Amino acid sequence: MRLSFGEKSFNALNYAFLTAAAATMIMPLLHLLAMSFSSPIAADSKKVFLLPVEFTTGSWAHILQTEELWRSFGITVYITVVGTLISMFFSLLTAFPLSRREFLLRKPVMLGIVITMIFNAPMIPFFLTVRELGLMNSLWALIIPGVIGTFNMIIIRTFFMGIPGELDDSARIDGCSDFRILFQIYLPLSKPVLATVGLFYAVGYWNTFQRAVLFLRDPSMWPLQMKLRSYLTTPEELAAVNLFLGDYDFNTTTLKAATIIFATIPIILVYPYLQKYFVKGAMLGSLKE
Amino acid sequence: MQTDARRKRSENRYLNNMKKHWMLYLMILPGIAYYVIFKYVPLAGSVIAFQDYQIFNGILGSPWVWFENFVFLFTYQDFYQVLRNTAVIAFYQLIFGFPAPIILALLFNEVRWMLAKRTLQSLFYLPHFLSWVVVGGIVFELLATQGVMNQIRGWFGFEPILYMQGERYFRSIVVLSGIWKEAGWGTIVYLAAITGINPNLYEAAVMDGANRWKQTIYITLPSMAPTILVLFLLNIGNFLELGFDQIFNLLTPMTYSVGDIIETYVYRAGVLQGQYSVTTAIGLFQSVIGFILLWIFNRLARKSEQGLW
Repeated sequence: MRLSFGEKSFNALNYAFLTAAAATMIMPLLHLLAMSFSSPIAADSKKVFLLPVEFTTGSWAHILQTEELWRSFGITVYITVVGTLISMFFSLLTAFPLSRREFLLRKPVMLGIVITMIFNAPMIPFFLTVRELGLMNSLWALIIPGVIGTFNMIIIRTFFMGIPGELDDSARIDGCSDFRILFQIYLPLSKPVLATVGLFYAVGYWNTFQRAVLFLRDPSMWPLQMKLRSYLTTPEELAAVNLFLGDYDFNTTTLKAATIIFATIPIILVYPYLQKYFVKGAMLGSLKE
Repeated sequence: MQTDARRKRSENRYLNNMKKHWMLYLMILPGIAYYVIFKYVPLAGSVIAFQDYQIFNGILGSPWVWFENFVFLFTYQDFYQVLRNTAVIAFYQLIFGFPAPIILALLFNEVRWMLAKRTLQSLFYLPHFLSWVVVGGIVFELLATQGVMNQIRGWFGFEPILYMQGERYFRSIVVLSGIWKEAGWGTIVYLAAITGINPNLYEAAVMDGANRWKQTIYITLPSMAPTILVLFLLNIGNFLELGFDQIFNLLTPMTYSVGDIIETYVYRAGVLQGQYSVTTAIGLFQSVIGFILLWIFNRLARKSEQGLW
Protein backbone atom coordinates (compact mmCIF):
# COMPACT_ATOMS: atom_id res chain seq x y z
CA MET A 1 0.00 0.00 0.00
CA ARG A 2 1.30 3.44 -0.88
CA LEU A 3 1.27 6.00 1.83
CA SER A 4 0.54 9.65 1.30
CA PHE A 5 3.07 12.27 2.35
CA GLY A 6 0.93 13.16 5.34
CA GLU A 7 0.81 9.58 6.54
CA LYS A 8 4.52 9.11 6.09
CA SER A 9 5.34 12.17 8.11
CA PHE A 10 2.83 11.21 10.78
CA ASN A 11 4.40 7.76 11.01
CA ALA A 12 7.87 9.23 11.32
CA LEU A 13 6.76 11.63 14.03
CA ASN A 14 4.82 8.96 15.87
CA TYR A 15 7.76 6.54 15.92
CA ALA A 16 10.11 9.32 16.96
CA PHE A 17 7.86 10.46 19.78
CA LEU A 18 7.14 6.96 21.10
CA THR A 19 10.79 5.97 20.91
CA ALA A 20 11.87 9.08 22.77
CA ALA A 21 9.21 8.57 25.43
CA ALA A 22 10.09 4.89 25.77
CA ALA A 23 13.72 5.88 26.21
CA THR A 24 12.75 7.98 29.23
CA MET A 25 11.29 4.83 30.79
CA ILE A 26 14.60 3.02 30.86
CA MET A 27 17.21 5.77 30.86
CA PRO A 28 16.76 6.90 34.47
CA LEU A 29 17.50 3.35 35.60
CA LEU A 30 20.57 3.10 33.36
CA HIS A 31 21.71 6.47 34.65
CA LEU A 32 21.45 5.33 38.25
CA LEU A 33 23.24 2.12 37.37
CA ALA A 34 26.05 4.15 35.84
CA MET A 35 26.11 6.40 38.91
CA SER A 36 26.40 3.45 41.25
CA PHE A 37 29.58 2.33 39.46
CA SER A 38 31.13 5.78 39.20
CA SER A 39 33.66 7.38 41.48
CA PRO A 40 32.26 9.84 44.01
CA ILE A 41 34.10 12.74 42.40
CA ALA A 42 32.75 11.96 38.95
CA ALA A 43 29.23 11.49 40.34
CA ASP A 44 29.20 14.89 41.98
CA SER A 45 30.81 16.77 39.12
CA LYS A 46 27.95 16.27 36.65
CA LYS A 47 29.87 13.96 34.37
CA VAL A 48 27.92 10.72 34.55
CA PHE A 49 25.20 9.96 32.03
CA LEU A 50 24.60 6.44 30.87
CA LEU A 51 28.08 5.03 31.34
CA PRO A 52 30.11 4.89 34.55
CA VAL A 53 32.90 7.42 34.85
CA GLU A 54 36.05 6.33 36.71
CA PHE A 55 34.60 2.87 37.23
CA THR A 56 34.56 1.57 40.79
CA THR A 57 32.59 -1.02 42.70
CA GLY A 58 33.03 0.89 45.97
CA SER A 59 29.35 1.76 46.52
CA TRP A 60 28.21 -1.74 45.75
CA ALA A 61 30.83 -3.26 48.03
CA HIS A 62 29.62 -0.92 50.75
CA ILE A 63 25.90 -1.58 50.46
CA LEU A 64 26.34 -5.31 49.92
CA GLN A 65 28.18 -5.42 53.23
CA THR A 66 25.48 -3.49 55.03
CA GLU A 67 23.74 -6.02 57.21
CA GLU A 68 20.70 -3.79 57.82
CA LEU A 69 19.98 -3.69 54.13
CA TRP A 70 20.18 -7.46 53.77
CA ARG A 71 17.96 -7.82 56.77
CA SER A 72 15.23 -5.70 55.23
CA PHE A 73 15.81 -7.52 51.94
CA GLY A 74 15.18 -10.79 53.75
CA ILE A 75 12.02 -9.44 55.34
CA THR A 76 10.76 -8.34 51.95
CA VAL A 77 11.54 -11.70 50.35
CA TYR A 78 9.73 -13.36 53.24
CA ILE A 79 6.56 -11.27 53.02
CA THR A 80 6.61 -11.52 49.24
CA VAL A 81 6.74 -15.31 49.23
CA VAL A 82 4.45 -15.93 52.20
CA GLY A 83 2.09 -13.08 51.33
CA THR A 84 1.74 -14.08 47.69
CA LEU A 85 0.95 -17.70 48.59
CA ILE A 86 -1.62 -16.71 51.20
CA SER A 87 -3.17 -14.10 48.94
CA MET A 88 -3.43 -16.53 46.05
CA PHE A 89 -5.06 -19.15 48.23
CA PHE A 90 -7.73 -16.84 49.62
CA SER A 91 -8.31 -15.12 46.29
CA LEU A 92 -8.97 -18.49 44.67
CA LEU A 93 -11.30 -19.51 47.46
CA THR A 94 -13.24 -16.27 47.09
CA ALA A 95 -13.24 -16.10 43.30
CA PHE A 96 -14.49 -19.64 42.79
CA PRO A 97 -17.94 -19.40 44.41
CA LEU A 98 -18.39 -15.94 42.89
CA SER A 99 -17.85 -17.42 39.45
CA ARG A 100 -20.57 -20.06 39.77
CA ARG A 101 -24.11 -19.57 38.72
CA GLU A 102 -25.45 -22.05 41.25
CA PHE A 103 -24.09 -19.97 44.13
CA LEU A 104 -27.12 -17.90 45.06
CA LEU A 105 -25.25 -15.23 47.01
CA ARG A 106 -23.09 -14.44 43.99
CA LYS A 107 -24.68 -11.11 43.14
CA PRO A 108 -25.10 -9.61 46.62
CA VAL A 109 -21.58 -10.61 47.68
CA MET A 110 -20.12 -9.25 44.45
CA LEU A 111 -21.99 -6.00 44.96
CA GLY A 112 -20.67 -5.77 48.52
CA ILE A 113 -17.14 -6.21 47.20
CA VAL A 114 -17.44 -3.73 44.34
CA ILE A 115 -18.79 -1.12 46.77
CA THR A 116 -15.50 -1.30 48.66
CA MET A 117 -13.70 -0.39 45.45
CA ILE A 118 -15.64 2.84 45.23
CA PHE A 119 -15.73 3.67 48.94
CA ASN A 120 -12.35 3.27 50.52
CA ALA A 121 -12.37 3.20 54.28
CA PRO A 122 -10.72 6.33 55.68
CA MET A 123 -7.14 5.85 56.83
CA ILE A 124 -7.63 6.39 60.56
CA PRO A 125 -10.49 3.91 61.20
CA PHE A 126 -8.52 1.40 59.11
CA PHE A 127 -5.43 2.06 61.19
CA LEU A 128 -7.40 1.72 64.44
CA THR A 129 -9.01 -1.53 63.29
CA VAL A 130 -5.67 -3.10 62.47
CA ARG A 131 -4.28 -1.91 65.77
CA GLU A 132 -7.26 -3.29 67.72
CA LEU A 133 -6.52 -6.65 66.13
CA GLY A 134 -3.07 -6.53 67.69
CA LEU A 135 -1.21 -6.40 64.41
CA MET A 136 0.92 -3.35 65.23
CA ASN A 137 4.63 -4.06 64.86
CA SER A 138 3.98 -7.42 63.31
CA LEU A 139 4.86 -8.50 59.79
CA TRP A 140 1.30 -9.85 59.52
CA ALA A 141 0.19 -6.23 59.36
CA LEU A 142 1.80 -6.11 55.93
CA ILE A 143 -0.14 -9.16 54.73
CA ILE A 144 -3.50 -9.71 56.41
CA PRO A 145 -5.10 -6.24 56.03
CA GLY A 146 -4.72 -6.46 52.26
CA VAL A 147 -4.71 -10.19 51.77
CA ILE A 148 -7.26 -10.13 48.95
CA GLY A 149 -6.65 -7.60 46.20
CA THR A 150 -10.10 -6.98 44.79
CA PHE A 151 -8.82 -6.33 41.28
CA ASN A 152 -6.76 -9.53 41.32
CA MET A 153 -9.63 -11.57 42.68
CA ILE A 154 -11.89 -10.28 39.89
CA ILE A 155 -9.28 -11.27 37.30
CA ILE A 156 -9.38 -14.85 38.60
CA ARG A 157 -13.16 -14.84 38.75
CA THR A 158 -13.51 -13.58 35.19
CA PHE A 159 -11.17 -16.30 34.00
CA PHE A 160 -13.11 -18.98 35.91
CA MET A 161 -16.35 -17.81 34.35
CA GLY A 162 -14.86 -18.49 30.94
CA ILE A 163 -14.24 -22.16 31.74
CA PRO A 164 -17.05 -24.25 30.22
CA GLY A 165 -19.53 -25.54 32.80
CA GLU A 166 -19.71 -29.01 31.21
CA LEU A 167 -16.28 -29.67 32.68
CA ASP A 168 -17.36 -29.48 36.28
CA ASP A 169 -20.73 -31.10 35.58
CA SER A 170 -18.95 -34.25 34.52
CA ALA A 171 -16.55 -33.97 37.45
CA ARG A 172 -19.50 -33.66 39.78
CA ILE A 173 -21.07 -36.78 38.34
CA ASP A 174 -17.82 -38.53 39.11
CA GLY A 175 -18.30 -37.40 42.69
CA CYS A 176 -15.88 -34.47 42.86
CA SER A 177 -16.53 -31.92 45.60
CA ASP A 178 -16.39 -28.19 44.81
CA PHE A 179 -13.07 -28.00 46.59
CA ARG A 180 -11.59 -30.67 44.36
CA ILE A 181 -13.10 -29.12 41.26
CA LEU A 182 -11.36 -25.88 42.16
CA PHE A 183 -7.96 -27.34 42.92
CA GLN A 184 -7.80 -30.31 40.55
CA ILE A 185 -9.72 -29.12 37.53
CA TYR A 186 -9.75 -25.34 37.51
CA LEU A 187 -6.24 -24.70 38.79
CA PRO A 188 -4.37 -26.64 36.10
CA LEU A 189 -6.42 -24.81 33.47
CA SER A 190 -5.65 -21.42 34.95
CA LYS A 191 -1.87 -21.27 34.74
CA PRO A 192 -1.64 -18.04 32.70
CA VAL A 193 -4.03 -16.19 34.95
CA LEU A 194 -2.34 -17.54 38.07
CA ALA A 195 1.01 -16.33 36.77
CA THR A 196 -0.44 -12.88 36.15
CA VAL A 197 -2.17 -12.52 39.47
CA GLY A 198 0.82 -14.03 41.26
CA LEU A 199 3.03 -11.41 39.64
CA PHE A 200 0.66 -8.61 40.66
CA TYR A 201 0.56 -9.82 44.25
CA ALA A 202 4.31 -10.38 44.38
CA VAL A 203 5.04 -6.90 43.03
CA GLY A 204 2.54 -5.48 45.48
CA TYR A 205 4.27 -7.16 48.42
CA TRP A 206 7.70 -6.29 47.10
CA ASN A 207 6.68 -2.63 46.91
CA THR A 208 4.75 -2.56 50.21
CA PHE A 209 5.25 0.83 51.71
CA GLN A 210 2.19 2.52 53.15
CA ARG A 211 1.28 -0.33 55.48
CA ALA A 212 4.83 -0.45 56.75
CA VAL A 213 4.68 3.30 57.40
CA LEU A 214 1.43 2.87 59.30
CA PHE A 215 2.04 -0.27 61.28
CA LEU A 216 5.76 -0.87 61.82
CA ARG A 217 7.36 1.39 64.40
CA ASP A 218 10.36 -0.83 64.98
CA PRO A 219 13.03 -0.10 62.32
CA SER A 220 14.49 -3.58 62.66
CA MET A 221 11.30 -4.94 61.03
CA TRP A 222 11.27 -2.55 58.13
CA PRO A 223 10.88 -4.10 54.69
CA LEU A 224 13.15 -3.04 51.85
CA GLN A 225 11.09 -0.10 50.62
CA MET A 226 11.01 1.49 54.07
CA LYS A 227 14.73 1.00 54.49
CA LEU A 228 15.33 2.41 51.04
CA ARG A 229 13.20 5.42 51.87
CA SER A 230 15.12 6.05 55.08
CA TYR A 231 18.43 5.79 53.24
CA LEU A 232 17.24 8.17 50.56
CA THR A 233 16.24 10.78 53.11
CA THR A 234 19.24 10.33 55.40
CA PRO A 235 21.99 8.79 53.25
CA GLU A 236 24.56 9.70 55.90
CA GLU A 237 23.28 6.78 57.96
CA LEU A 238 24.03 4.41 55.13
CA ALA A 239 27.42 5.97 54.54
CA ALA A 240 28.29 5.72 58.22
CA VAL A 241 28.03 1.93 58.52
CA ASN A 242 31.06 -0.25 57.81
CA LEU A 243 33.42 2.71 57.75
CA PHE A 244 36.09 0.59 59.39
CA LEU A 245 36.51 -1.06 56.00
CA GLY A 246 38.62 1.91 55.04
CA ASP A 247 38.20 2.45 51.33
CA TYR A 248 36.02 5.54 50.84
CA ASP A 249 35.22 4.78 47.24
CA PHE A 250 31.68 6.06 47.50
CA ASN A 251 29.62 9.02 48.60
CA THR A 252 25.97 9.59 49.40
CA THR A 253 25.07 10.12 45.73
CA THR A 254 26.56 6.87 44.49
CA LEU A 255 25.24 4.99 47.53
CA LYS A 256 21.71 6.23 46.90
CA ALA A 257 21.96 5.16 43.27
CA ALA A 258 23.19 1.70 44.26
CA THR A 259 20.43 1.16 46.85
CA ILE A 260 17.71 2.19 44.38
CA ILE A 261 19.04 -0.28 41.82
CA PHE A 262 19.45 -2.92 44.52
CA ALA A 263 15.76 -2.65 45.44
CA THR A 264 14.73 -2.81 41.78
CA ILE A 265 16.84 -5.71 40.52
CA PRO A 266 14.36 -8.50 41.38
CA ILE A 267 11.57 -6.74 39.52
CA ILE A 268 13.75 -6.16 36.47
CA LEU A 269 14.75 -9.83 36.58
CA VAL A 270 11.25 -11.31 36.63
CA TYR A 271 9.73 -8.71 34.33
CA PRO A 272 10.77 -10.22 30.95
CA TYR A 273 9.59 -13.70 31.91
CA LEU A 274 6.16 -12.72 33.09
CA GLN A 275 5.51 -10.07 30.52
CA LYS A 276 3.77 -12.37 28.11
CA TYR A 277 1.12 -13.12 30.70
CA PHE A 278 0.27 -9.92 32.43
CA VAL A 279 -1.24 -7.97 29.57
CA LYS A 280 -3.85 -10.63 28.99
CA GLY A 281 -4.49 -10.83 32.70
CA ALA A 282 -4.88 -7.09 33.09
CA MET A 283 -7.38 -7.11 30.25
CA LEU A 284 -9.37 -9.89 31.91
CA GLY A 285 -9.75 -7.83 35.04
CA SER A 286 -10.96 -4.78 33.25
CA LEU A 287 -14.56 -3.80 33.22
CA LYS A 288 -16.38 -7.07 33.04
CA GLU A 289 -19.89 -7.15 34.47
CA MET B 1 -51.16 -16.17 53.05
CA GLN B 2 -49.97 -16.21 49.53
CA THR B 3 -46.93 -14.08 50.29
CA ASP B 4 -46.16 -16.31 53.24
CA ALA B 5 -46.14 -19.31 50.98
CA ARG B 6 -43.90 -17.55 48.55
CA ARG B 7 -41.49 -16.54 51.26
CA LYS B 8 -41.47 -20.10 52.51
CA ARG B 9 -40.61 -21.32 49.05
CA SER B 10 -37.75 -18.87 48.62
CA GLU B 11 -36.43 -19.78 52.07
CA ASN B 12 -36.47 -23.37 50.99
CA ARG B 13 -34.69 -22.44 47.82
CA TYR B 14 -31.83 -20.91 49.81
CA LEU B 15 -31.74 -23.74 52.32
CA ASN B 16 -31.65 -26.35 49.61
CA ASN B 17 -29.00 -24.43 47.76
CA MET B 18 -26.92 -24.14 50.91
CA LYS B 19 -27.29 -27.84 51.64
CA LYS B 20 -26.37 -28.82 48.14
CA HIS B 21 -23.46 -26.43 47.75
CA TRP B 22 -22.37 -26.01 51.36
CA MET B 23 -18.76 -26.13 50.27
CA LEU B 24 -19.15 -22.99 48.17
CA TYR B 25 -20.57 -21.20 51.20
CA LEU B 26 -17.67 -22.43 53.29
CA MET B 27 -15.18 -21.25 50.69
CA ILE B 28 -16.54 -17.74 50.54
CA LEU B 29 -16.41 -17.30 54.32
CA PRO B 30 -12.79 -16.14 54.64
CA GLY B 31 -13.33 -13.70 51.80
CA ILE B 32 -16.46 -12.27 53.39
CA ALA B 33 -14.71 -12.07 56.74
CA TYR B 34 -11.85 -10.17 55.12
CA TYR B 35 -14.12 -7.63 53.45
CA VAL B 36 -16.19 -7.15 56.58
CA ILE B 37 -13.25 -6.74 58.93
CA PHE B 38 -10.93 -4.64 56.80
CA LYS B 39 -13.37 -2.71 54.62
CA TYR B 40 -16.74 -2.44 56.31
CA VAL B 41 -15.66 -2.23 59.96
CA PRO B 42 -13.34 0.73 59.19
CA LEU B 43 -16.13 2.29 57.14
CA ALA B 44 -18.44 1.98 60.14
CA GLY B 45 -15.60 3.13 62.37
CA SER B 46 -15.85 6.47 60.63
CA VAL B 47 -18.44 7.37 63.27
CA ILE B 48 -15.54 8.48 65.44
CA ALA B 49 -15.61 11.60 63.28
CA PHE B 50 -18.67 12.53 65.36
CA GLN B 51 -17.02 11.66 68.64
CA ASP B 52 -14.25 12.85 70.82
CA TYR B 53 -12.56 9.50 70.35
CA GLN B 54 -10.39 8.38 73.21
CA ILE B 55 -8.20 5.44 72.54
CA PHE B 56 -8.71 3.77 75.93
CA ASN B 57 -12.49 4.12 75.93
CA GLY B 58 -13.03 2.90 72.39
CA ILE B 59 -15.95 3.80 70.17
CA LEU B 60 -18.60 2.76 72.69
CA GLY B 61 -17.10 4.68 75.60
CA SER B 62 -16.11 7.88 73.83
CA PRO B 63 -18.34 10.93 74.17
CA TRP B 64 -20.39 12.09 71.20
CA VAL B 65 -19.67 15.59 70.01
CA TRP B 66 -21.66 15.38 66.77
CA PHE B 67 -20.50 18.07 64.36
CA GLU B 68 -17.92 19.71 66.59
CA ASN B 69 -15.01 18.18 64.65
CA PHE B 70 -16.43 19.42 61.39
CA VAL B 71 -17.03 22.89 62.81
CA PHE B 72 -13.43 22.87 63.97
CA LEU B 73 -12.24 21.82 60.50
CA PHE B 74 -14.13 24.51 58.66
CA THR B 75 -12.68 27.20 60.88
CA TYR B 76 -9.17 25.80 60.67
CA GLN B 77 -6.62 27.40 58.37
CA ASP B 78 -4.55 24.25 57.72
CA PHE B 79 -7.61 22.37 56.51
CA TYR B 80 -8.21 24.79 53.67
CA GLN B 81 -4.61 24.64 52.58
CA VAL B 82 -4.61 20.84 52.54
CA LEU B 83 -7.97 20.72 50.81
CA ARG B 84 -6.84 23.22 48.19
CA ASN B 85 -3.62 21.30 47.53
CA THR B 86 -5.55 18.06 47.16
CA ALA B 87 -8.21 19.52 44.90
CA VAL B 88 -5.73 21.37 42.68
CA ILE B 89 -3.47 18.33 42.20
CA ALA B 90 -6.51 16.10 41.63
CA PHE B 91 -7.78 18.53 39.03
CA TYR B 92 -4.43 18.62 37.22
CA GLN B 93 -4.27 14.85 37.27
CA LEU B 94 -7.73 14.67 35.77
CA ILE B 95 -6.91 17.13 33.00
CA PHE B 96 -3.44 15.89 32.14
CA GLY B 97 -3.13 12.45 33.70
CA PHE B 98 -6.45 10.93 32.67
CA PRO B 99 -6.17 11.56 28.89
CA ALA B 100 -2.50 10.50 28.77
CA PRO B 101 -3.12 6.74 28.39
CA ILE B 102 -5.91 7.37 25.88
CA ILE B 103 -3.64 9.43 23.65
CA LEU B 104 -0.82 6.93 24.12
CA ALA B 105 -3.12 4.04 23.18
CA LEU B 106 -4.18 5.88 20.01
CA LEU B 107 -0.53 6.43 19.11
CA PHE B 108 0.30 2.77 19.79
CA ASN B 109 -2.59 1.82 17.58
CA GLU B 110 -0.99 3.63 14.65
CA VAL B 111 2.23 1.64 15.02
CA ARG B 112 1.86 -1.08 12.41
CA TRP B 113 5.24 -2.74 12.82
CA MET B 114 4.45 -5.39 15.43
CA LEU B 115 7.97 -5.91 16.73
CA ALA B 116 8.38 -2.19 17.40
CA LYS B 117 4.94 -2.03 18.97
CA ARG B 118 5.66 -4.84 21.37
CA THR B 119 9.08 -3.51 22.32
CA LEU B 120 7.69 -0.04 22.95
CA GLN B 121 4.86 -1.41 25.05
CA SER B 122 7.15 -3.49 27.27
CA LEU B 123 9.20 -0.40 27.97
CA PHE B 124 6.12 1.68 28.74
CA TYR B 125 4.70 -0.92 31.13
CA LEU B 126 7.89 -1.22 33.16
CA PRO B 127 7.61 1.82 35.46
CA HIS B 128 4.23 0.61 36.71
CA PHE B 129 6.06 -2.17 38.54
CA LEU B 130 8.48 0.13 40.35
CA SER B 131 7.55 1.35 43.80
CA TRP B 132 6.93 5.02 44.50
CA VAL B 133 9.92 4.95 46.82
CA VAL B 134 12.10 3.99 43.85
CA VAL B 135 10.41 6.43 41.49
CA GLY B 136 10.66 9.16 44.13
CA GLY B 137 14.36 8.36 44.48
CA ILE B 138 14.82 8.59 40.72
CA VAL B 139 12.96 11.90 40.57
CA PHE B 140 15.01 13.41 43.39
CA GLU B 141 18.20 12.16 41.76
CA LEU B 142 17.40 13.51 38.29
CA LEU B 143 16.24 16.87 39.60
CA ALA B 144 18.97 17.38 42.19
CA THR B 145 21.29 20.36 41.97
CA GLN B 146 23.89 17.98 40.56
CA GLY B 147 21.32 16.00 38.64
CA VAL B 148 20.85 15.39 34.94
CA MET B 149 18.24 18.11 34.45
CA ASN B 150 20.56 20.75 35.82
CA GLN B 151 23.45 19.27 33.87
CA ILE B 152 21.48 19.84 30.68
CA ARG B 153 20.55 23.35 31.78
CA GLY B 154 24.23 23.93 32.38
CA TRP B 155 25.11 23.18 28.75
CA PHE B 156 22.92 26.08 27.71
CA GLY B 157 24.41 28.30 30.34
CA PHE B 158 21.43 28.35 32.69
CA GLU B 159 21.72 28.43 36.44
CA PRO B 160 20.78 25.23 38.28
CA ILE B 161 17.28 25.10 39.76
CA LEU B 162 16.32 23.59 43.10
CA TYR B 163 13.37 21.71 41.66
CA MET B 164 12.41 19.56 44.61
CA GLN B 165 12.57 22.40 47.10
CA GLY B 166 10.68 24.83 44.92
CA GLU B 167 7.00 25.38 45.54
CA ARG B 168 6.58 26.34 41.90
CA TYR B 169 7.49 22.94 40.53
CA PHE B 170 6.02 20.49 42.98
CA ARG B 171 2.61 19.97 41.39
CA SER B 172 4.02 19.64 37.89
CA ILE B 173 6.47 17.07 39.17
CA VAL B 174 3.63 15.12 40.79
CA VAL B 175 1.55 15.10 37.62
CA LEU B 176 4.45 14.32 35.29
CA SER B 177 5.87 11.54 37.46
CA GLY B 178 2.38 10.06 37.70
CA ILE B 179 2.05 10.06 33.93
CA TRP B 180 5.53 8.63 33.53
CA LYS B 181 4.78 5.76 35.89
CA GLU B 182 1.21 4.83 34.98
CA ALA B 183 0.27 6.10 31.51
CA GLY B 184 1.80 3.11 29.71
CA TRP B 185 0.07 0.64 31.98
CA GLY B 186 -3.20 2.54 31.57
CA THR B 187 -3.15 1.92 27.81
CA ILE B 188 -3.89 -1.79 28.29
CA VAL B 189 -7.59 -1.28 28.89
CA TYR B 190 -7.95 1.12 25.99
CA LEU B 191 -5.99 -1.10 23.63
CA ALA B 192 -8.34 -3.92 24.59
CA ALA B 193 -11.26 -1.70 23.66
CA ILE B 194 -9.61 -0.86 20.33
CA THR B 195 -9.01 -4.54 19.59
CA GLY B 196 -12.72 -5.15 20.00
CA ILE B 197 -13.69 -2.76 17.22
CA ASN B 198 -15.26 -4.40 14.19
CA PRO B 199 -12.76 -4.15 11.28
CA ASN B 200 -15.65 -3.76 8.83
CA LEU B 201 -16.17 -0.28 10.18
CA TYR B 202 -12.69 0.71 9.07
CA GLU B 203 -13.14 -0.90 5.67
CA ALA B 204 -16.37 0.96 5.13
CA ALA B 205 -14.71 4.20 6.21
CA VAL B 206 -11.81 3.66 3.81
CA MET B 207 -14.32 3.10 1.00
CA ASP B 208 -15.84 6.44 1.91
CA GLY B 209 -12.40 7.97 1.62
CA ALA B 210 -11.57 8.44 5.31
CA ASN B 211 -7.87 8.82 6.06
CA ARG B 212 -6.27 7.61 9.28
CA TRP B 213 -7.02 10.79 11.15
CA LYS B 214 -10.67 10.64 10.19
CA GLN B 215 -10.80 6.94 11.10
CA THR B 216 -9.42 7.77 14.52
CA ILE B 217 -11.89 10.59 15.11
CA TYR B 218 -14.99 8.90 13.75
CA ILE B 219 -14.42 5.23 14.55
CA THR B 220 -11.69 4.52 17.09
CA LEU B 221 -12.49 7.26 19.59
CA PRO B 222 -16.28 6.78 19.62
CA SER B 223 -15.77 3.03 20.01
CA MET B 224 -13.57 3.68 23.04
CA ALA B 225 -16.11 6.05 24.56
CA PRO B 226 -17.88 3.55 26.85
CA THR B 227 -14.52 2.40 28.27
CA ILE B 228 -13.38 5.96 28.73
CA LEU B 229 -16.63 6.84 30.45
CA VAL B 230 -16.51 3.94 32.92
CA LEU B 231 -12.89 4.65 33.80
CA PHE B 232 -13.69 8.33 34.15
CA LEU B 233 -16.51 7.58 36.57
CA LEU B 234 -14.37 5.24 38.65
CA ASN B 235 -11.72 7.93 38.65
CA ILE B 236 -14.07 10.69 39.71
CA GLY B 237 -15.35 8.62 42.66
CA ASN B 238 -11.84 8.63 44.07
CA PHE B 239 -11.19 12.17 42.92
CA LEU B 240 -9.57 13.39 46.12
CA GLU B 241 -7.64 10.19 46.76
CA LEU B 242 -4.35 10.86 45.09
CA GLY B 243 -2.35 7.99 46.45
CA PHE B 244 -0.37 8.26 49.64
CA ASP B 245 2.82 6.62 48.38
CA GLN B 246 3.43 9.05 45.55
CA ILE B 247 3.00 12.30 47.44
CA PHE B 248 4.67 11.01 50.59
CA ASN B 249 7.77 10.10 48.61
CA LEU B 250 7.98 13.39 46.73
CA LEU B 251 7.10 15.71 49.58
CA THR B 252 9.62 17.61 51.69
CA PRO B 253 8.86 20.09 54.48
CA MET B 254 9.81 22.83 52.00
CA THR B 255 6.93 21.88 49.74
CA TYR B 256 4.21 21.30 52.37
CA SER B 257 2.52 24.57 51.45
CA VAL B 258 1.68 23.32 47.94
CA GLY B 259 1.96 19.56 48.24
CA ASP B 260 0.61 18.50 51.62
CA ILE B 261 -2.56 16.61 50.68
CA ILE B 262 -5.36 15.11 52.75
CA GLU B 263 -3.71 11.70 53.00
CA THR B 264 -0.26 12.93 54.07
CA TYR B 265 -1.82 15.39 56.49
CA VAL B 266 -4.10 12.73 57.98
CA TYR B 267 -1.08 10.49 58.41
CA ARG B 268 0.91 13.13 60.28
CA ALA B 269 -1.89 14.58 62.39
CA GLY B 270 -3.82 11.34 62.86
CA VAL B 271 -1.45 8.42 63.00
CA LEU B 272 1.61 10.24 64.34
CA GLN B 273 -0.03 12.79 66.64
CA GLY B 274 -3.10 10.80 67.59
CA GLN B 275 -5.78 13.32 66.56
CA TYR B 276 -8.02 10.48 65.50
CA SER B 277 -11.43 12.10 65.44
CA VAL B 278 -10.57 15.27 63.57
CA THR B 279 -8.57 13.45 60.91
CA THR B 280 -11.35 10.89 60.46
CA ALA B 281 -13.68 13.82 59.88
CA ILE B 282 -11.36 14.91 57.08
CA GLY B 283 -11.35 11.41 55.63
CA LEU B 284 -15.13 11.27 55.77
CA PHE B 285 -15.38 14.67 54.13
CA GLN B 286 -13.13 13.38 51.35
CA SER B 287 -15.29 10.30 50.79
CA VAL B 288 -18.48 12.34 50.74
CA ILE B 289 -17.08 14.72 48.13
CA GLY B 290 -16.04 11.69 46.05
CA PHE B 291 -19.51 10.22 46.31
CA ILE B 292 -21.25 13.47 45.39
CA LEU B 293 -19.03 13.89 42.34
CA LEU B 294 -19.62 10.30 41.31
CA TRP B 295 -23.37 10.76 41.69
CA ILE B 296 -23.43 13.97 39.65
CA PHE B 297 -21.28 12.62 36.83
CA ASN B 298 -23.12 9.32 36.76
CA ARG B 299 -26.38 11.21 36.27
CA LEU B 300 -24.83 13.21 33.46
CA ALA B 301 -23.45 10.03 31.92
CA ARG B 302 -26.79 8.29 32.05
CA LYS B 303 -28.40 11.17 30.20
CA SER B 304 -26.13 10.65 27.21
CA GLU B 305 -25.15 7.01 27.38
CA GLN B 306 -24.87 4.48 30.15
CA GLY B 307 -23.46 5.19 33.59
CA LEU B 308 -22.05 2.97 36.28
CA TRP B 309 -25.55 2.22 37.59
